[in-house]
Amino acid sequence: MTTAAAETWRDILAPQALDLSLLAAFIVLAMTSFFLKSVRLKYFTLAAAVGYMGFVKSSLLSISDFFRLTDLSLPPFAYSLAWYLFTAFVVVSTVLWGRLYCGRICAYGALTQLMDAVLPAKLRINIPARIERRAAWIKYGLLAMLLVYYLVTHDLATPVQYAEPFWMFTLFGTKLMWIGLAVLLAATVFVRNLYCRFLCPVGAALGVISTLTVFKIKRWSECNSCKLCEKTCEWGAIRGPLIVKTECVRCDDCERLYLDQQKCPHWLIQIKRARPSAAPAASAGPSAAASSAPSSSS
Amino acid sequence: MKQAAALSVWLATAGAAVLLAQRIITNPKPDAHLKVLFPNAAAFSPLSGDPLHFTAYGSDPKTTPAAPPLGYAFWTTDVVPNEHGYHGPIHVLVGLDLKGTLTGAIVDYDSEPYGYFSVEPPKFAAQFKGKTIHDAFVVGRDVDAVSRASISIGSATRAIRDSSRIIAQKFLPEAGKD
Repeated sequence: MTTAAAETWRDILAPQALDLSLLAAFIVLAMTSFFLKSVRLKYFTLAAAVGYMGFVKSSLLSISDFFRLTDLSLPPFAYSLAWYLFTAFVVVSTVLWGRLYCGRICAYGALTQLMDAVLPAKLRINIPARIERRAAWIKYGLLAMLLVYYLVTHDLATPVQYAEPFWMFTLFGTKLMWIGLAVLLAATVFVRNLYCRFLCPVGAALGVISTLTVFKIKRWSECNSCKLCEKTCEWGAIRGPLIVKTECVRCDDCERLYLDQQKCPHWLIQIKRARPSAAPAASAGPSAAASSAPSSSS
Repeated sequence: MKQAAALSVWLATAGAAVLLAQRIITNPKPDAHLKVLFPNAAAFSPLSGDPLHFTAYGSDPKTTPAAPPLGYAFWTTDVVPNEHGYHGPIHVLVGLDLKGTLTGAIVDYDSEPYGYFSVEPPKFAAQFKGKTIHDAFVVGRDVDAVSRASISIGSATRAIRDSSRIIAQKFLPEAGKD
């Protein structure tokens, strides 16, 4: 470039160093909480998601990110390293494990999950599974409508302002936007994770990608009849023996049950069989059990 | 068969939508903006030259052929077309006087999702008036940082800085030296 004072790599990288390292640290935290299946670390991650990804950075995945792909308009690489790291992480993690982003990276999802943990459970309305399954499709309809709207108008700002609440963390909104957000959050008090489960077009787009999921949640043969996990799942993602990948946000709740030898029928049956000979090996995880190899759900 | 029909309807709709999509072009009539950048100018040349620019004149060159220019105005999108924000280029009209001082900058169009609170408020563009091509243009130092929209702010700032320096090097041999 023929500018008066050409920028060096140092000039370009130095202002981004802090942002990049904090983002990397957050990703490490989130993945550690995921692999350790730790409840405490998960809540720590959710709080960090609201604080750092939300209020500090405010760079959550937006439906605009998907639409921009249609005209290949991307921010300049050298000046937007954190954005590329974040986007690459979201895409790769979704292909490998599914909608992990929705479950612990997205600041809005983290906020509603924290609301759910703090608010009294008796306020909550449990939606019948029949309605829940149908309502889960709304977000795909919304995604399709917004995509057509974008292709016709090339207007990104309106969907970002009115179809998703992620702008809230910037604290810049019009009165109408704040009213809409207030209504949404008020409804979320009664229906947990309302937006994520039924409305979020970003979740719908990730749901489409999640059909590729490489590392699926294992299911035991006992899962065919047991309803324990299905009842525990807060996301309506378990239907009988199946885990619905497009709805699952890898919250770990069912996987923690698998590991619980006091609750999961798989272990209870194993223990019963093993009782005459010896006590069960306490450290045996699902993958170590050879007698009934878990099958992948689809 | 039914599925194939549904699929072709979908494809046709999607194709039509893509064709209908309005491609964004630079504002063809920025006359009012030019007046703001050069209030004393009596006339402006049409957009021409390489890189494309308007020349501002104190008296109409049609009546006074030897009229010296007051300065230059140009679209960042013409001078640094590869500078993209979060979503495509941010269209800024910049005015530069003969000493290499910016007479102003006007954000005319952008499609940034967070543009409404970052580059669109006139406060953002106003801070560039009076800066010279030798200034640093570093967001957070001599350009106000609106946190949470750093990609948009950074791109618009680089576009204004780089385009001004390129124009200065080309048309202001005195001011452009550095």
